[in-house]
Amino acid sequence: MSSQLSSQLNKPATQTAGAEGYNFAYLDEQSKRMIRRAMLKAVAIPGYQVPFGGREMPLPHGWGTGGMQLTATVIGEADTLKVIDQGADDTTNAVSIRRFFAKTAGVATTEHTADASLIQTRHRIPERQLRNDQILIYQVPIPEPLRFIEPRETETRKMHALREYGAMQVKLYEDVARFGHIATSYDYPVMVNDRYMMDPSPIPKFDNPKMNQMPALQLFGAGFEKRIYAVPPYTRVVSLDFDDYPFEVQSWEESCSICGSDHSFLDEVIMDDAGNKMFVCSDTDYCRERVEQGFTAENPEGQQGLTPEHNQVQQENKKQDDTKAEEMAL
Amino acid sequence: MSVQVNSMNRGAVRSDLLMTGFDDAVQDAQKVFRKVLKAMSEPGTILTADLTDKTPGALNKSSWEIALTLFDADTKIWLSPTLAGDDAVVSNLRFHCQCPMVSEPAEADFALALADELPELKALNWGNSEYPDQATTLIVQVEAITNQTQDNDEGWCLNGPGIETERGLTVAGLPYSFRRDLVNSRKRFPLGVDCVFCADDQLVALPRSTEIKPSDSEEGIRNTIQQEAN
Amino acid sequence: MYVAVKGGEKAIDNAHALMREQRRGDTAIAELSVEQIKQQLPLAVDRVMNEGSVYDPELAALALKQASGDSVEAIFLLRAYRTTLPRFGYSEPVDTEQMQIERRISGTFKDLPGGQVLGSTYDYTHRLLDFALLAEGDSAPSEQASNNMGVPQSHRSEARTEAENSDKLEACPRVLELLNQEGLIEQSRGDGEEDITPRDLTRQPVNYPVERAVRLQNLIRGDEGFLLSLSYSSMRGYGDSHPFAGEMRSGRVSVELVPEELGFPIEIGEVMLTECEMVNQFHGSKDQPPQFTRGYGIAMGRAERKAMSVALVERALRAEELGEAVNYPTQDQEFVLSHTDCVSANGFVSHLKLPHYVDFQSELEMIRRLRKAASEASAQPSKDKADTAGEEI
Repeated sequence: MSSQLSSQLNKPATQTAGAEGYNFAYLDEQSKRMIRRAMLKAVAIPGYQVPFGGREMPLPHGWGTGGMQLTATVIGEADTLKVIDQGADDTTNAVSIRRFFAKTAGVATTEHTADASLIQTRHRIPERQLRNDQILIYQVPIPEPLRFIEPRETETRKMHALREYGAMQVKLYEDVARFGHIATSYDYPVMVNDRYMMDPSPIPKFDNPKMNQMPALQLFGAGFEKRIYAVPPYTRVVSLDFDDYPFEVQSWEESCSICGSDHSFLDEVIMDDAGNKMFVCSDTDYCRERVEQGFTAENPEGQQGLTPEHNQVQQENKKQDDTKAEEMAL
Repeated sequence: MSVQVNSMNRGAVRSDLLMTGFDDAVQDAQKVFRKVLKAMSEPGTILTADLTDKTPGALNKSSWEIALTLFDADTKIWLSPTLAGDDAVVSNLRFHCQCPMVSEPAEADFALALADELPELKALNWGNSEYPDQATTLIVQVEAITNQTQDNDEGWCLNGPGIETERGLTVAGLPYSFRRDLVNSRKRFPLGVDCVFCADDQLVALPRSTEIKPSDSEEGIRNTIQQEAN
Repeated sequence: MYVAVKGGEKAIDNAHALMREQRRGDTAIAELSVEQIKQQLPLAVDRVMNEGSVYDPELAALALKQASGDSVEAIFLLRAYRTTLPRFGYSEPVDTEQMQIERRISGTFKDLPGGQVLGSTYDYTHRLLDFALLAEGDSAPSEQASNNMGVPQSHRSEARTEAENSDKLEACPRVLELLNQEGLIEQSRGDGEEDITPRDLTRQPVNYPVERAVRLQNLIRGDEGFLLSLSYSSMRGYGDSHPFAGEMRSGRVSVELVPEELGFPIEIGEVMLTECEMVNQFHGSKDQPPQFTRGYGIAMGRAERKAMSVALVERALRAEELGEAVNYPTQDQEFVLSHTDCVSANGFVSHLKLPHYVDFQSELEMIRRLRKAASEASAQPSKDKADTAGEEI
């Protein structure tokens, strides 16, 4: 094929706002196609880890290269991107990744969960319930929930193929025997659509119930392990547990020192050498939103009492608890 | 590997039959991909892919745009007989996607077929239990797709991941044997074939995770009516 | 009121400005040029090219400069650049038998066709610090002009003569092929086995078990230190390895490409390569008589340690294929291949520097709860004991 003909028929790609010398959103189109195909298979087999030809990204493995490859592949000019790390928009790695896409894709970015069409996250699910028109992209270090039980990929593949998950139940039960509790507090394994055991990435188990029947599409990218997996919207995601030791989430005796929230995941901050501490919302946008609505530590019920927003969260938590109760036995 | 397959399969591309692909290869592919992603993650949802003016030969808009978005030198493509014999289709797929063509449906990453030329479902690759993702994606050009299921006996009632309660879907013109085999294939999940049905500029997906019930049963009709009432 | 720490963007910018300043060092000292690095630190450049998977000494030297001499950081820079490069085509396999030999040694034969060519090497140097270099002089300034291959004085004339002699040979046959004539060593390919285009591990996912071509790709990109230590372990009893260095050769090889429109190969350039073939024992099996087996390593530039380590580990990884017991880490392909990559390893270890507040908070909450439960339990020992006693009765 002559290059002349080729250039006539293949109109040049846009150079919209991308970094000079790089394609839109950094990745070349061939890599994006490869990742797109893997992503479609991941969606078609919820919770199953699809191997993909992971690319080297200009950030180190383990710093979000998997999530970034998914974001680079999904993102378009019309998107608004939010990036969080530990629930916060202003942690250094979140800042770095958000800048990367602002520079290479020229897309709008936001810190407001409600305004984002794509949210890339490390270690948290936003407190605000996500919508069906949003996509949540998780950065995943180790995608295999069975990895610390069986380090070999060849073996864990077989375990997934046979739905042979007894070893994980044994591990959790050993915790119960030793501590009287399931001692896994984050990276807590889930069953997706009753078929595949899935690693939810190192989110606290506090966030696990949010995955169940979430209206938003959830995509998971593990960069150096080169795996993609997904949970479509409205999909059953159940945390593993036992009839006599049901799954339960973290709770705090304290409330957020800024917005007074008693139902969000709290970060502990050491205030002085004496070890005095305070607690603040890990989800910085959620906390900001509550403060704007008039909630404070001194007035946790808000200035006009409960707002619809607060009610919604409470109801959602209750709904998830109810669903949980029905699905307790695995 | 792709290199060899590709060069072995390189036949004559008829430059007189070539036409333009996307206006903007990067942005348009992203837009179509998002449609396909939405379709695959919310089975039964009908979406529109309408970014190209003309399509080569017998290809319709949505299947042509999916090909431009997902096919390349690393994907093996099987075409049903009419499409395989259509120089415009073959030349444009070769030129725009550089995709190798295979003669056995089982070898294909993507099988692209007309509804009345569908291969037997079992002739496609269903993946294997350790790597179910290696299965074929089947793209079928059909007459029409609609979420209405009342006035026909081809309607389906869909359940499963991506569907909040239930969703009705009618894909017009699929052979009975294919419809039957597709419903039965669900027993073998996670093995199976993921389907995309393309009617003109519309597309709808049925991944293997979707449970399908024929809605001509009383229960199916009742559910569909109920869904619409909601 | 507590205010969450803000200003991540500014902190990052400042940190990077400080890093650039530190890299430059004392501005009273002349700045190092990329060309100087390329010319005077060629072995560092070669390592970066190998693990960075790009044959480009200039970019490798630039990466080293940018990385303040940290080879792992430099490798990462080059890799990230490599990912974005378009593929114009795939070269024909290089023929190392046609190598313009610069150095060639065999540990198995005293003399052989083509001869031993000592070339440039640190071997046999006495590792005494050369304080003449400290005085910014050169220990052998007279060499500079004529010695474009960096051959030390002690071996130079001899090496050149041998190299020139070897140039005159039609070809320099591989040592292992000499053994092959007697049938004492396994064939490099099985009967009727044809060359297949290897899978590209940078484009396709690796699913275990993987074929030899992919294993070799992985090892050649692998961390030199890790491979060196693994190969060491395999010779120290953690592996049934009793190797001989059949041959090590370094030199230039031409690279050819067949453009679609021409249909015949054209030479597009030359690359400097180091190739190592190890000879290992094989006790034979039901089907095969005892014979020697091969371990193969190749690397860009002058990288003997790398080529040897690859050849040793590569052979150890063939244990399963040859029906040997797989007892040690170096024989275990999943263990070896999934941990060779310095970019991955460095990324994962260094990611611990990222915030883990949330997971740590989860652990704190759990430990406090467990401790509270434990202390409550121990506060009422008598009651528990009484209950237990009651049950026993």
